[in-house]
Order: sequence, then C-alpha cells, then structure tokens
Amino acid sequence: MTALGDILHLLFTANLWQAALAAAVLLLLPALGGVISERSGVVNIAMEGMMLTGAFFAVVANLAWHNVWLATGVAMLSGALMASIHAIVSIRFRADQIVSGIAINIFAAGLTVFLVNRIYGVQDIGHVGQSELLPNINVPGLDQIPFFGKVLFQQNVIVYVALILLVLMHLLLFRTRLGLRIRSVGEHPQAADTAGINVYAIRYGAVITSGLLSGLAGAFLAIGVSNTFVPNMTDGRGYIALAAMIFGKWTPFGAFVACLIFGLGQAIYDNNSIIHVSPYLLSMLPYLLTLVVLAGLVGRSTPPAADGLPYVAGSE
Amino acid sequence: MGHKHLKFLGVVAAAMVFSLACGGSSGGGGGTPAKTYKIGLVTDIGGLNDKSFNHLAYVGLQKAITDFKIKGDVVESKSGDDYVPNLTNFASKGYDLVIGVGFLMQTAVGTVSGQFPNVHFAIIDGAGTDANGNDLKHANVESLFFKEQDAGAMVGVIAGWLEKNGQAKKNKGVISAVGGVSIPPVNHYIAGYKWAAAMEDPGIKVLVGYSNDFTDPAKCKGVAQSQISQNSDILFQVAGGCGLGVLQAAGQASLYSIGVDADQKDADPSVIASALKKVDVATYTAIKLVVNGQFTGGAQTFSIANGGAGYSPDNLNVPSALQTELDKVEGEIKNGTLTPPADIPA
Amino acid sequence: MPIGSVILAFIIGALIVAVTGANPFDAYSGLLCGGFGIACSQGENPALQLSNTVVFMIPLLTTGVAVALPFRAGLFNIGAEGQLLAGSVACTAIGIKFAGLPAPVLIPMVLIGGMLAGALWAGVAGVLKATVGAHEVVTTIMLNYVAQWLVRYLIIGGPLQLAPGTSRSSPIGVNAQLPTLLPADNSLIIFGLPASVFRVHWGLAIALAAVGAFAFLLWRTSLGYEIRAVGQSQKAARYAGVSVRRTIIVTMLIAGAFSGLAGAIQISGVDHSLTDKYFSDTTGFDAIAVALLGLGSAVGIILAAVLFGALHSGGAIMQSDSGISSNLVLVLQALILFSIAANFVGQIARLIPGIRRPQALPPELPPAAPLMTEAAAPPPEPA
Repeated sequence: MTALGDILHLLFTANLWQAALAAAVLLLLPALGGVISERSGVVNIAMEGMMLTGAFFAVVANLAWHNVWLATGVAMLSGALMASIHAIVSIRFRADQIVSGIAINIFAAGLTVFLVNRIYGVQDIGHVGQSELLPNINVPGLDQIPFFGKVLFQQNVIVYVALILLVLMHLLLFRTRLGLRIRSVGEHPQAADTAGINVYAIRYGAVITSGLLSGLAGAFLAIGVSNTFVPNMTDGRGYIALAAMIFGKWTPFGAFVACLIFGLGQAIYDNNSIIHVSPYLLSMLPYLLTLVVLAGLVGRSTPPAADGLPYVAGSE
Repeated sequence: MGHKHLKFLGVVAAAMVFSLACGGSSGGGGGTPAKTYKIGLVTDIGGLNDKSFNHLAYVGLQKAITDFKIKGDVVESKSGDDYVPNLTNFASKGYDLVIGVGFLMQTAVGTVSGQFPNVHFAIIDGAGTDANGNDLKHANVESLFFKEQDAGAMVGVIAGWLEKNGQAKKNKGVISAVGGVSIPPVNHYIAGYKWAAAMEDPGIKVLVGYSNDFTDPAKCKGVAQSQISQNSDILFQVAGGCGLGVLQAAGQASLYSIGVDADQKDADPSVIASALKKVDVATYTAIKLVVNGQFTGGAQTFSIANGGAGYSPDNLNVPSALQTELDKVEGEIKNGTLTPPADIPA
Repeated sequence: MPIGSVILAFIIGALIVAVTGANPFDAYSGLLCGGFGIACSQGENPALQLSNTVVFMIPLLTTGVAVALPFRAGLFNIGAEGQLLAGSVACTAIGIKFAGLPAPVLIPMVLIGGMLAGALWAGVAGVLKATVGAHEVVTTIMLNYVAQWLVRYLIIGGPLQLAPGTSRSSPIGVNAQLPTLLPADNSLIIFGLPASVFRVHWGLAIALAAVGAFAFLLWRTSLGYEIRAVGQSQKAARYAGVSVRRTIIVTMLIAGAFSGLAGAIQISGVDHSLTDKYFSDTTGFDAIAVALLGLGSAVGIILAAVLFGALHSGGAIMQSDSGISSNLVLVLQALILFSIAANFVGQIARLIPGIRRPQALPPELPPAAPLMTEAAAPPPEPA
C-alpha cells in the first residue's frame, strides 16, 4: 500500500510529468512517422532501425563537425536514407512490407555496430560536449507558471519541435488537400490514381517523412538525452512506437496518448530509488496497463484500407 | 583522438606499474620463448564497445599481444546461447588460454573447462560453476575476482567527505547510486560506496536505484533525475554504457558524478572521480602467467591491496584534507583494519 | 527457396565488407567453416561446427512455425519471444517441482507444460483480437515485455531464484532433461573431441516433428483449411461457414504452443535452468525472419532455420579467424530478407532477353496486406 501511496504522491509532482513528456517524445516522433507512412498505405515497422541509424550518425557527425544542428540534419537524412530503402523495396519492387521492415531493423542493428567497430576500432566512440548537445530551453515567462511551466516549458528543444510536429501532422492529414490525398492513396489507391493523384510520389514522400522523423528521434536520444552512441541504445522504442500508433488508431493525437502512457510508466519506474516495490513488477506496469486499456476501452483498431497493399498502376 | 591516446596510455601505465609491483619480472618480454602462445578472448553480450569491462579486457589483451608477441583472438557473443560454443571454439583449437569476460559466463566456463582439462581458462568476475552456482574448482580455471567494494569505498569517502564538509553543490546530506541490474558485481560497488559515505558522514542519506539496463543512457538518466529531485548531490553510476546518462544528468544539473570501471573523466565534466576495476590488469596478468608457465588454477582477487582496484580523482581539485583522509582509508583497507562490506548495508 | 536471391545478398554483403576495408573471402570462408564445417583453415573441428549450427537451429524451427501459422490466418505474431519465455518458465517450474518423477513421465510433462504456458500467453492476444478487436501486433508486443519483466522478477528476488545474489533458477531435475544424441561424456572421444561438446539433443526430433505437424495441420485438416480461408478473405470464409473468431483464437493458441515448446526444449535440452541469458534472448524475433524467409512453408522454414543457424554459428568463427565483427551476420540476414522480398534477381532477369522470367513471389506467401487490414477488425459474427 505504501508503494501505491508513493506512486499517487508522485503523480502530483511536476518533475514526474516533465520526465514523462520527454520520454513520450522519444516514442512520439517515430510513431508520427508510422502514422503518415501507413496512412499512405505503406506498412512501416522499421522505425526502430531508422531511429538507431539516426542515433549513430548524429554522434558521428557531431564528433566530426561539432555542430549539433548539422548533426541533427545528418541523423534525419540517415533515417530518410534507411526509409528510402524501405520505400524502394516495397513500392518499386512491391516487396512484402513487413519483411522489408524487419530487414531494415536487423540491418540497422548490425550495420551500426559493424561501423563502430570498423571506424573506431574498440576505442571509445567519444562523447559530445555539453555545449554541443541539443539544448534545453526554458520558455521565458511561461516557464514560471506553477506546475505546467515546469512540465511544458522547461524542456529540450526537440520536445517543443515534436509537439509542434504533432499538431502539424494532425492538420496536414485532416485539414489539407495534401492530407486528403495521402489518406485517399492509403484507402483507395486506384480511385486516387484515376483522380490524377500520383500514388507512387505520395507513398515515397510519406515513407521518407517517417525516416526523417525517426532519425530526429534518434538524434534526440543520442545527442540530446545522451551524449554518445551505445550499441542498441534505442532499446525497442521503435516497436513501442508501432504499438502506440496502432493503439492510437493511426491518428497523431491517439498515438500521443499512448506514448504518454508509456512515458509515464517509464517516469514512475525511474523513481525506484524511493518506491519500494519489485522494480521488475513496476516495469511491467505500462505494458499491462496498455493491455487492459485495449481490452476495455479502446478495442478495435482499423487501419487504412490499402495499408500493406503494393500498388500497381493500372491494375484492377 | 588526443584524449583517447592519453587515456589509453594511462591504462597501459597502470598495467605496467602493476606488473612491476607484483614482481613478476621473471622472463618478461626479453627472452621470449620460441612458441607463439594463442590466447582467445570471449566477450559477453555487451560486446567490445560496451565502454566497460569487455572493452578493458580487450585493452589488456592488446597490451599482452605487444609485450609477449602472442596471437590473441576475440569473439563477441551475440546472445547468451553463444557462450558455450565460443569458449569451445577456442578450446577445441588448442588455445593456451581462453578468457571469458563476465559473471554471466560462469556456468559456460564450468562446462567447457571440464571438457578440455588441458586448456587453461580464466574468467573475469566469476568462477567455473555447475548449474547450482557452486564453484567446480577445476584445476585449469583461474577465477579473477574483484573487490569492487574497495573501489566503491574510496569514491564513497570522497562523496561523504564533500557532503559533510559542505564542499559539494547542494549539501543537503543526500547522495545516490544508479545500478544497472541488481547483481553481485554491481551491488559490491554500491555496498562499499554507501558504507564509506556513512563512515565519513554518519547522517548521510544514500539513495540506491536501478535502471534494469546496461545499454540505454536515457534509462539511467531518468533514474538519476529522479534522485536529483530527491536532493541527491553526488551520483555514482554502476551501469556501464547506460550509466553515461547518470554522468550527464549530474552535469546538466551542475552537480557532481562518479564514474565506474574505467576512468570516465572524459565522459562529462561533472565526473569528480572514478571507481576503478582494473579488468585490463587482470587480463594481462592472467596471460602473463600462462606465457611464463606460472599458471595456477583457483581464485585470484584483485583489490586495493594488490592494485587491481582503486580510484582516480578526475575533474576536481582534491582538497588536501580530503586527500589525507583518502590516503588514510586506503592504507587501512590495504592493511586490513577496514573491510568494506560486499552486501549493501541497510 | 530462391537461391539466387541468397547469392545476390552475399554478393552485396561482400561489397560492404570490401568497402569497409576487410577481405570478403576471409569473411565468407569463416562463415562457411563455422556454419557447415567446410573450408576450415585454422584447425576448427567440422563436426563441432555442424553440431553448433543444429543447436542454434532447433528453437528457430518451432518459433518459425509459431510465426508462420498465424501469417496464414492473416495474423502477425510478433509475440513468439514472449510465448517462448512463458514456455521456458513453465518448463523450469515443473522441472524443479516434480524433479523426483521418472523421465518418461517428467519430460512430456515439462514439454506439455511449456506448450500450455505458451498457448496461454498467445491466447490472451487471440481472445482480445477475436472479442474486442484489439490488434495482435500491439497485444503481442505488450505481452513480450510483460514476459521479459516476469522472468527478471522470478529469478532476481522472486520465487524461482536459486540463492540471494544470483540471477538464475535452480537446475531442473535430471529426469526433466532431454538427452543429447551423443553421450554427454567428457572422457569419451568422438570426432577427435570429448563427446559432450556435441550438444545436439533429442529436441531436434521433436522440433522437426513439430514442423511436420504444422504442414499436416495446414494442408490436411479442416482446421488448416479454415485458417487459410480466414487468411485469404474473412468475408469469404464467413460465407463458407467458418467461424472467424474461433479460428483466430485457435490459431493463436496453437502458435503459442509451438513457441512455448521452443522455450521448454531450450530449457530441457540445453540450459537446464532459467538464467539471465533469457533477458536478452532474441529467438522469437529471429523467428519472424525465418518464417518470412521460409515463405511460410514447412520445407522453407527448415531451410531458413538451417541458414540462420549456420550464420549464427559462423559469425563467431569469422570473427575469431579474421577479426571481422560478427555483427556482419546481421547485415547479411537483412540483405537476404531484402533480396528475397524484393525478388531483385527475378526483376533483373526479366530485363535480360532470352532468360525465362522466373515466377514472381511464390503464391503460398500471403501478402502483408491482410495482416494489417481485413484481419485487423473482424466484423461481428452473423448470428
């Protein structure tokens, strides 16, 4: 009971929600990538690999050029490069999109460590200096609001970027012509094609966008939250993001809610120095909670109708 | 690159000092025998770039290759299923010494050493055990243990002393440690740390948390930030690559941190000291014994007393009173007056 | 299996090796030696290498089936890993608790116990899918994490912990252990090495039988017909009188049983106790690649498991002989998957006149489409 009391008490602290939001953003960016890719009809389970690639190249670039923005750009490009492999293989060659996604994840896990070995030998890859990391920014004025100031306005720059991207992604998909096109390509590619929409271009664009977003998440992880690359440092976040995307029924805000649940679970777990319950059972909590929520509240998730179907121009 | 070279040289120097101190200069590098010794090193799942003990074992192997003109080969284990086949691979090819790195490989070393009684084995952080965890005491196995609690105690003295004398940052009487997983090699460090800090400052509060992870710095950073919100002033990381997040969290909060295993002063400016576990020295020593024909099975413990564990002051100008205290405690641990505990005190 | 695609993958892999400044021939001769005992240059024992490949292959067979079967029903089981862990936990608990029973009773008990636990784990996902429509990709990923933390809890501080300060369980009883094909004897010399280093165990026969059972189930039973029908089109299956909900639940139960069997065999045949190595086990994820590579057929899964087992075993020899990081193996696995999925060879061959165009994707493999679409939301059953 004391453990439960401790957790309840924590829920009223700004520190907890500040940490939860930062942890959620690491999942939100790849989840948004998944949303746009699958809305256009390309199944994407490769966020894990694209994020890991981004993390690796963010560190390599930052150590080489000592410019955090350039490094972030390189990370996003490397994620996009991985995504374009997925795009070419699954759109041009009409490969099974799950196979291709799994292959990207395996490829990234192997390639990053292989390259660490070949570039740096077994020397330490090196650490990015404090001043060359993605900065934390306190929004002047707003950061003084009690509770919410700390949670929302004392965060890393990428947290703000991600929250803006969340809103933009929602507006893009549901309030713009382009969004309508993306969704129609994901639901009825034949009809979209007949209406003069370039199905291939939309799909390439969407998949590559998912790579840019996942690469950005990798940069945030490696040169924002951390200051170096550690093999497999993404630790399954791409898969959790995938779950969050489906949990959120392929909508940006739905995915965000799921990311917050996982972020909150992680943030509560982080307090295991003061909560006295088996840390392993505590770690299980967000996953069990997700199952319960799925069973009781959320239920059916229906993906876009043409998700996973390769499109052949002029077919049917 | 410059830093890395310096760091590497520092480690090599430490190894050389140690090998001299041990007085094992019989033969050494001079009159190398005609035989080329073959040494195989098997890492655990952390791999060579773990920024921790697998890496240090490799450093020790490299130095031995240079000094003794041996053939040294390495295999990284990709999963726990690889330990037995990787050890067997070297043993079946008649290697002179097969080194397993890490506590996780105990049973595997126990099994394979029984199959190849004529091959020498060494295991870092463990013994060759049976399925019940009992040491099989095979004559061809050398167990290289470390008294991590010695190293933990030295950095615990630093943390406790700074806190008591108001020379840390917040000075609210709280320090902390972040462990990877609650397993013996991790808990030994924390035990020594907590014990020594309490010895320096009886009223001190020591928070202990675990990340349940050795590879993801973000996880350790989260645990560290929670401790910081509980007023922790000095944070000790015992979580390998994950723990780098602890050092960074301390740096961003303008607090102090303490590194582990190797000298981690380059990882973050907040690192005031590192608790050292000289896996490189142990690896080098094990190889040297085989090359000199002096291999004996059984347990070898590396501690402060024989230079196999210790501390390095890093980005901190150590006040002379603290240095005096450190020297006193180090001396008392060496002569046995003080014995840091292996289990975390209540 | 499309051999051409595998060869293409190895050619691209060689380019990557060469570009990063190492010798591809060294890399591949190491892989060949470590995988199949062929072309060994540094005194490796060929029989030992083959034995290691087989030991790695065994759990991939059953977990491969555990992914392939739901694929046929249009379900994507990412949860083979969690189901495997559930099976290994059950096997360990039973093997310790009933250590006194004779082997002919106890071995079936631990294996069936493992299967039931795996079935239970997957069944949760199956029931949630069939009743409230919760997507199995989410639920199986969640169940993987729950299983991983459960294993940690059980052997660090929990009821299965051997002793304080350890991260393993007690060993299961001797009578719960699957025997190896060769006697586990250190003094008996076979193929120039102690017999005990050849760790191939009778789990091989069980796993092969399981793959056979999968093929039989799929093609020779009415349940198999129903599974395939649901995978092709739920609507059509429903018109044909198939209960889609029941089929989904039963498919997941059977898949979980296969995965659970893999976990039980691994404990009973190789590890004999639940240890910290299960924290970082990835068999259930490798199984996804094996199932996809094997195009969902029994023979394909066996060939794919052999290939992955050989790559796993070969990576170590490659690294020890030539110093090339064993992570190259992951790169090769990925390239093979790309190459087969995209059928590059077929597409290239089509461009060259005079070569007959090979068939595109074999028809047995259901496309990813139904995995994420129709099957995702079973409409209510007609009364």
